[in-house]
Amino acid sequence: MAVVFGCAVSLMTSGRLSLRLAAPAALYWTFVPLLEIAGLAAVWPWKRSPVSFARAIDLFFVSNTPWSLWFTAFAALWALFPPARVFAWTGNPWPWYASALAVGLWCARLDFRFFRSVPGRTPARACRDLAVQRFIAWTGGVAWFMGPAAWQVVASRVGL
Amino acid sequence: MNSVRRVSAGLLLAALAAGTLADRPQSQPPLWIAGYRVLAADFHVHSYPLSASTLAPWDLVLEARRQSLDAIAITGHNQVEAGLWGRWFARLVGGPTVIAGEEIHAPFYHLIAAGIHSTISWRNTAAQSIAEIHAQGGVAIAAHPVRGSWPAFDPQAMASLDASEIMQPIVWGYNYYGARELREFYQRGPLAAIGSSDYHGMGPLGICRTYVFARDDSEQSILEAIRRRRTVVYDRDGRAWGDAQLIQLAGGRLRDREPQPSGALDLFSRAAGLLGLIGILISGNRVVYSAKEKEIVPK
Repeated sequence: MAVVFGCAVSLMTSGRLSLRLAAPAALYWTFVPLLEIAGLAAVWPWKRSPVSFARAIDLFFVSNTPWSLWFTAFAALWALFPPARVFAWTGNPWPWYASALAVGLWCARLDFRFFRSVPGRTPARACRDLAVQRFIAWTGGVAWFMGPAAWQVVASRVGL
Repeated sequence: MNSVRRVSAGLLLAALAAGTLADRPQSQPPLWIAGYRVLAADFHVHSYPLSASTLAPWDLVLEARRQSLDAIAITGHNQVEAGLWGRWFARLVGGPTVIAGEEIHAPFYHLIAAGIHSTISWRNTAAQSIAEIHAQGGVAIAAHPVRGSWPAFDPQAMASLDASEIMQPIVWGYNYYGARELREFYQRGPLAAIGSSDYHGMGPLGICRTYVFARDDSEQSILEAIRRRRTVVYDRDGRAWGDAQLIQLAGGRLRDREPQPSGALDLFSRAAGLLGLIGILISGNRVVYSAKEKEIVPK
């Protein structure tokens, strides 16, 4: 997954795949799989684990394919079309939000089935595990990626 | 490993080799006009992490060089540390000039503080922020000042503001009025005209740039040139904004210095890279869950 991110970053910035950009970007974006693993670890049934945690990670990460394809398609836009045109297309964020939501729901469905099948959770417990895993991964990701600007938005909205 | 995956991995490696070979800075001799060193600069650049961008400060320094930029301001959201790191690295590798800065990301306005050393609070009013920027020896640039942010720039703020972005990616956005609003705000001046890429990882660094007429390429000379409004910017229609006399003196020499279109290696790198990535993703491991969702069958 980090390799996909690294390649996409290089394509979006320079229109080519160069080691100078792709290698460090792949390293930086390991925060995404690491936070996903942290979220999974928080809900994993350690005492009666049906498969090893390493195997569980492998199975869990299969559901990242839709996101990786979405991100690759987004990078392809920047690599294949003049930036001014892509800025015009992406200036209205709502179609992007809608497509991201669709992909997010698809991944959530895959992960729900993972929690049902691999640790054998009940539907309600699988939903809870999914929510906790997402909360840890997404809040951690937003904090690391957006940091102070995200805090300003939250603090302003809630009057802190 | 199946054959599709093997071919895709080969394409990806070939794309990386071609792209790395093509990845060379386009060096240009310094340009002097009317006794000023003309510098291509991008004053609104975000970095990874904590600033919603993809590249670390040191990567930005190397990428700026690749994009024929003589100077950049690394402007973290509500923090100056990224800019200080970038400046340290640029000095280590011999340029380009990096100005430490911050984008003050406040609820009702966004302001670039270029040339500061300590973080300025987003809880200030625009006028307070500008005063603090000046106290630290920096310059204040209104960042994408669209109509919604105008009330924050009251007469006191406008009287002390140094510059405003007149060209940045927002002008290509779906909001047709973006370009007009930046222009109208700039004309409330007098202000230095600024073109910035507002780099967040999408599109090239320096896609919108400012030509600064400075005494030399030092940070202090660049900041002094902004204070004295010795800048030229080209908008999306190719119209020049900024110091009228300098626009006339420069003629067409500034735009000639912008990065040239990519060559065959780049084209191969992007086509093979995308095909390789898609091939690897669609040929990857899949898991089929049984109808009863009680077992998993890796495919």
